[in-house]
Amino acid sequence: MRSNALAVALVVVAVICFVLAVLYGLGVLQIAVSDTSSPHHYTHMILFIVLGVASLIGANFTREKTV
Amino acid sequence: MGLLQGATELFPVSSLGHAVLVPSLLHWSFKQSDPSFVPFLTLLHLGTASALLVLYRRQWVDIVRGFISASLRGRITADNERLAMLLLTGTLPAAILGVFLENRIKAFFASPYEAAGFLIANGLLMLGFEVLRRRAERRDAADAKTRAEVEERFTDAAHISFLAALVVGACQALAFLPGISRSGVTIGGGLLAGLRHEEAARFSFLLATPVILGAGLIEVPQLRSTPGDVLVSYAAAAVLAGLAAYASARFLLRYFRSGRLDPYGWYCVAAGLASLALLRFGL
Repeated sequence: MRSNALAVALVVVAVICFVLAVLYGLGVLQIAVSDTSSPHHYTHMILFIVLGVASLIGANFTREKTV
Repeated sequence: MGLLQGATELFPVSSLGHAVLVPSLLHWSFKQSDPSFVPFLTLLHLGTASALLVLYRRQWVDIVRGFISASLRGRITADNERLAMLLLTGTLPAAILGVFLENRIKAFFASPYEAAGFLIANGLLMLGFEVLRRRAERRDAADAKTRAEVEERFTDAAHISFLAALVVGACQALAFLPGISRSGVTIGGGLLAGLRHEEAARFSFLLATPVILGAGLIEVPQLRSTPGDVLVSYAAAAVLAGLAAYASARFLLRYFRSGRLDPYGWYCVAAGLASLALLRFGL
């Protein structure tokens, strides 16, 4: 399934994931965390970085290749 | 405890279930709510993950190379690239569910009675997986004469579908329930996806490595507050866990060349029932 629209959507998802990673890392976001007293949520931060990278890889797979 | 965790982490019998049940049955003064439990478990996980990395060191080099080349190219051209992407696909649901659900589920089902109940359920799952597998063997390998020929009709880890990898990966979330085995559900899921038994075990161990390693590494900062002498004894337990995990993995890979999940299924049912009886009657 190759489509530039899907690739763009996955890049947008990746950007959102990276923003969420920063917010969790800074402790701004406290949604869906088990320990709300902790100032930083590094586990969530790492997860969203991984999801962002995976989305970029997915975008590279789905974009239409010129060759 | 290190030997127990290392051995049961890879056997399809639930390490978490045994970690809840055994200390309770043997009256060990060992509580999972204790603040020292997390650093202890962290080091045990690192020991187990190290054993898996050593066992599959050449394959991991291939997988990492395949991951980088396929990611940059945006296309899969070799088996190692496909296996790398299948492992990524299988790891993501486990990581998402692990981060958002694991602590809540574990806290909810922490009693030995529940662990014993889920151990029985795990046994029934293993037996169920083999019932479905035998049905597939009758359908797809009816003319095969030997066990090896039957297994040959099924595929290897690099050739299952991405949807199957996603489902097998998501099945790992069931292992947050104490008593349900991560390797059991992933090996069983792999069998349903059409893998040979040995390949299902290999895929399960490869899939477990980043999850166990990641869970361990994330908790490493908590080790800073652990006293040095305690850390040394924890490290010794981690080495034992690693040795037990290495031996378990080698044994299981050889066992699954011709063996099935049934013995582990029956063991889980028997161990769960015996544990319930022992807990109920305080023996």
